[in-house]
Amino acid sequence: MYSSLDIKELTIWRNKTALLSLNESIQGGEILSIMGPSGSGKSTLLNWLTGMLPPTFTAHGNLYLNQQNITHTPCHLRHIGLLYQDPLLFPHLSVEGNIAFAMPKLSKKKDLENVSLALEKVGLGGLEKRSPASLSGGQQARVALLRVLLSKPKAILLDEPFSKLDSELRQEVRDIVFKQIRAHQLPAIMVTHDHSDAIAARGNIINLATLEKRYA
Amino acid sequence: MIKTHDTFTRLIKLSPTLLVALLVIPVIGGLIGVLLPAFGYLPALGMKEFSLQGFNALIQTDGFSHMVFLSASSALISTLLALTMTILILACFFNSPWLKRIQRLLGPILVIPHAAAAIAISFLITPSGFISRLFSPWLTGWELPPDWLLPHDILGVSMILGLTLKELPFLLLMALAAFAQADLGAKLRAQHKVAMSFGYCPMTAFFKVVLPNLYTYIRLPVLAVLAYASASVEIPLILGPNAPPTLSVAIINWFNDIDLTLRIKASAGAIAQLMLTATLLITWWLLEIIVKRVFYFYVTNRKRDYAGNAIMHLTRIVTVMLVASILLSLLGLVLWSFAGFWRFPAFLPDQLVLIHWQNALTNIQPALLNSLYIGFAASAIAIILVLVTLEAEQQRAYALSHLSSFIIYLPLLVPSVAFLFGLVWLQEQISSHHAYINVIFSHLLFVLPYVFLSLASSYRCFDSRFSILAASLGKSPAKVFWQVKLPMLVTPICIAFALGLAISFSQYLPTLLNGAGQINTITTEAVVLASGASRRTSSVYALIQMLLPALAFVLAWLTPKLVYKYQNKA
Repeated sequence: MYSSLDIKELTIWRNKTALLSLNESIQGGEILSIMGPSGSGKSTLLNWLTGMLPPTFTAHGNLYLNQQNITHTPCHLRHIGLLYQDPLLFPHLSVEGNIAFAMPKLSKKKDLENVSLALEKVGLGGLEKRSPASLSGGQQARVALLRVLLSKPKAILLDEPFSKLDSELRQEVRDIVFKQIRAHQLPAIMVTHDHSDAIAARGNIINLATLEKRYA
Repeated sequence: MIKTHDTFTRLIKLSPTLLVALLVIPVIGGLIGVLLPAFGYLPALGMKEFSLQGFNALIQTDGFSHMVFLSASSALISTLLALTMTILILACFFNSPWLKRIQRLLGPILVIPHAAAAIAISFLITPSGFISRLFSPWLTGWELPPDWLLPHDILGVSMILGLTLKELPFLLLMALAAFAQADLGAKLRAQHKVAMSFGYCPMTAFFKVVLPNLYTYIRLPVLAVLAYASASVEIPLILGPNAPPTLSVAIINWFNDIDLTLRIKASAGAIAQLMLTATLLITWWLLEIIVKRVFYFYVTNRKRDYAGNAIMHLTRIVTVMLVASILLSLLGLVLWSFAGFWRFPAFLPDQLVLIHWQNALTNIQPALLNSLYIGFAASAIAIILVLVTLEAEQQRAYALSHLSSFIIYLPLLVPSVAFLFGLVWLQEQISSHHAYINVIFSHLLFVLPYVFLSLASSYRCFDSRFSILAASLGKSPAKVFWQVKLPMLVTPICIAFALGLAISFSQYLPTLLNGAGQINTITTEAVVLASGASRRTSSVYALIQMLLPALAFVLAWLTPKLVYKYQNKA
């Protein structure tokens, strides 16, 4: 079975004015890029996708994950992973603790042992017991990625994921993230300001600013 | 927002209602409980007909108008003085590193119980106190303590001094907390610079540009201070005049009189106190309007300098005197607690002894344990209630209503003399005779607002992306609460807990009244000792009163470090 994320005839309103409309289908391994200036509804769209749309907005339309309607499923039961511009590692847990926190409840003992192996694969071998604050920005970004992937999500949302990294690191982390998304065949949606990110994603690009004009 | 419907979310949803009910019912119920006897309805004494007898008796009391005048004038003057000093200190040290230093010095005073502060000040200004020793005999020529009526002077000067010294740190810290809001502080500092670039001297720039914007943020604390000062009991009891005392102290005396018929008059007095406080708040509000009008004219009169340098020098001198008197009164307290024979006008005791501490420590245990039990219980309940309320607020994704937020601060605005007696009556009505439970509950009313004030900002500022992230990793709202929010907020929670302890330790009236006089805490003992017994024993108790909250804050500072250490090892 192919994995897929389908947004069906979505319209989001704020105070009775339509903010955005969307109808998209993303296949596993595909990365849809959403661009647009601030205020164009990028983060509102992400909030809807995670099931955290604030009460000031209203939305119509459906969200299907692997042909299952999850429009009304609470955030924690959706299996949609998130990657923000900040790594947001839990400061009260070690690197290993952060990853263990994310892994599914029924993870086998073998999986837990594989954490070290996974860390090594992204060049973070031996950092299991370190506290997140003691890692460099690039290392933190990689732990955050590993944390999302090991939580076994069925789709991934990326919120300006590389905007806080300097240009050298940016390319490196971006390559790892995209490679992993393709390797796991996950449907992904990326919100970004940066055109080069959108091009590197090699998927469809939607510009919300022009969309707004189209539907206004 | 898609809501889950597990037990946790359902329970959490009820908490704001529970919190509001817990605060409204006792305060309103308490007010009704004094309103009925005030109008002559007191079935326990066989009086079941409404009359104005209580109010008549009240008005005919000797010196009644003087009592009201004392309460009103001391509250207004001390609030004005504290506010003026706060503004002058801010204006004078606005761009100086000394502002931070003054803040650090005055911060701890905030958690010193009123009773302990009053005792410290009374030992400073009493005829044989530290100040007269400091200047005798070389300046004054006194070989014997002068014959002053200090404290307890008829005009209430010492009481005003005590109230001002205790209110000043609070207002200053509230103003600095407003500056600490990232955008406000930066914005005001930038505007201050702009004004100076137009040729305004720093002092004038502060008054014309910063103050009008800042005042909105310290307005509520100022009103709370005014309300508190008008109805405070501990400070007038220890520093205020005796014949006649302030209205609040008189009410307490009537309520505690063995002649039960005085209860009617006392209840009428409580209603008068309520009206007095309300009148003061309205007066202040009118003053604000007038000052704003007059001020507007001056702000735009283009004058750049009003003897700014002279005022700055004066402010520096007064600030030094303030800090010195605070340090001197603390030093005096420590010396008295160790003093053996100490003849006047020697600056230091002739001998230092440990006996007062030893005596006190052998007798203090029950009171100390009571303070701890009640403090821990009230603070723990308050922390849990506040946490679940704030969590409910985040889960439903909109803030508490204005009414609810206002109600949380209700026990701080309504004079406690006015509703606590009614609360005692209410507790009798529902046959709640367990003194500890009654006292813990009454402490909770005063602990809750402070715990809420202290926790709300950090809980509301918690980066919601962490919760969304944890939820996207499959964690239920309950798990997000327990495993992500609580551990990450451990520092503010510990600080709020310590603040709760400090507030509970300092409660005098609720302990005395709701415990029916059966429960002694460090604070009730200290107040009793202050009015008679030895100055040395009294000093020991006042110091212990200060040490308790200090210890609580040390614990609050250490606990998160230990927790993190443990977690990183695990």
